[in-house]
Amino acid sequence: MRNLLLRYKRFLMTAVFLLVAFLTYALNLRNKEHANPLERAVMNVTAPVAGSVATITGTAGDIWSNYIDLLEVRQENIELRKSVKLLNERMVAKNEAAVENARLKALLDLKGAVAVPSIAVSVIGEDSSAWFKTLVVDRGSADGLLEGMPVVAAGGVVGRLVKVAPQSSRVLLLTDHASAIAAVVQRSRARGVVRGAGGGRCSLEFTVKDEDVKVGDAVISSGIGGVFPKGLPIGEVTMVKKGEYGVFQTIEVRPSVNIGKLEEMLVLVRQSGE
Amino acid sequence: MIAYLKIAGVVLAACLLQMTLLPRYLLDPFQPNLLIILVVYLGLKLPHRLAGVAAFALGLLQDTFSGIYLGLHAFSYLCIYTLLAELADRLYTNNRALFVLVVLLATVSSAFLNLLMLAIFSVSNGVYASLLPALIPQALINGLIASLFFGVRLPVEEAR
Repeated sequence: MRNLLLRYKRFLMTAVFLLVAFLTYALNLRNKEHANPLERAVMNVTAPVAGSVATITGTAGDIWSNYIDLLEVRQENIELRKSVKLLNERMVAKNEAAVENARLKALLDLKGAVAVPSIAVSVIGEDSSAWFKTLVVDRGSADGLLEGMPVVAAGGVVGRLVKVAPQSSRVLLLTDHASAIAAVVQRSRARGVVRGAGGGRCSLEFTVKDEDVKVGDAVISSGIGGVFPKGLPIGEVTMVKKGEYGVFQTIEVRPSVNIGKLEEMLVLVRQSGE
Repeated sequence: MIAYLKIAGVVLAACLLQMTLLPRYLLDPFQPNLLIILVVYLGLKLPHRLAGVAAFALGLLQDTFSGIYLGLHAFSYLCIYTLLAELADRLYTNNRALFVLVVLLATVSSAFLNLLMLAIFSVSNGVYASLLPALIPQALINGLIASLFFGVRLPVEEAR
């Protein structure tokens, strides 16, 4: 027996190991979802090592993904930002051109409607004091402008030229205290003089108390005096007050032109002899 | 010569700022009057006969770009300069608070002088309705600008 075992020792040992393996497998078929002690021991030993290796691998991957691989992407980003900035500038310029186009179209329509020769001017400066209302425009006597010429915009009367130099002129706005424009109420034909009252307002003075003037009435130029052509819009009545005493009524007028947003205007050129 | 050119540059810059840049971004009563600050500076720091001519010239410059009455601001600035020149040697002119106070008072005085001149010599009735509401904001903003630029040594002192 002993000789038989010694002769087939290798074969028997192999058979025993195969049997143990089979039995290990067979016995753990029922516990496939639970770690047995051996498995737990192996996991306990290898876990820290595996974690370290994962950390190192992840760091190396991050460096690659976020830096080495992105060198070109960074340059591309810079180029794209420049393109976006350029496109934004073009868009702003285009919008500005569209707005200017609308403004100039309105001015051109006015030029056609007024039927008086006119010169377009642009505002280049404002009054340097808070108490007077004048604008500086970019045309002067070299372009045929003279003191006293009326200035209008798409909304209506703006004022008149007061000081003219060869290359620039000053416009006295209708809201300045020194301004006076002969006017008439469009509905009732009541006459008066629109004078500046400061603060963006005007008043219609010397309108007799008997005249019919209501809030909301349009006030236009009467043409008296020969400065402003007849029929140009000046503003709208915002307040009417008839006192017990006195000959005239107190009327406030809001200009139809937005004085604060003037950029281009027309100067009505009077022909010589008019 | 260069100092005078620098002075001219400062005055020109102040004028252009008041006429073009400041009105675009600041509401009416809050636009500072840089020229009156220069006049007060001349009166307190440089009382001299030529400085009086400079104050008058600054007023004429202001009138060229403001209103329609040439000589209005020139007169009021000359009055202010003359008064300050008389008082300058009695005051501690290196004091910032004093400079600010004098600018405030000069703004108010200039406004009342202008109002008086307009009321007597022009037909702009009701101009007080524009002047008076803007007076306090104008004086305050002038005082603020004066306090900011108090430490700046203008080239005028090199020309002495």
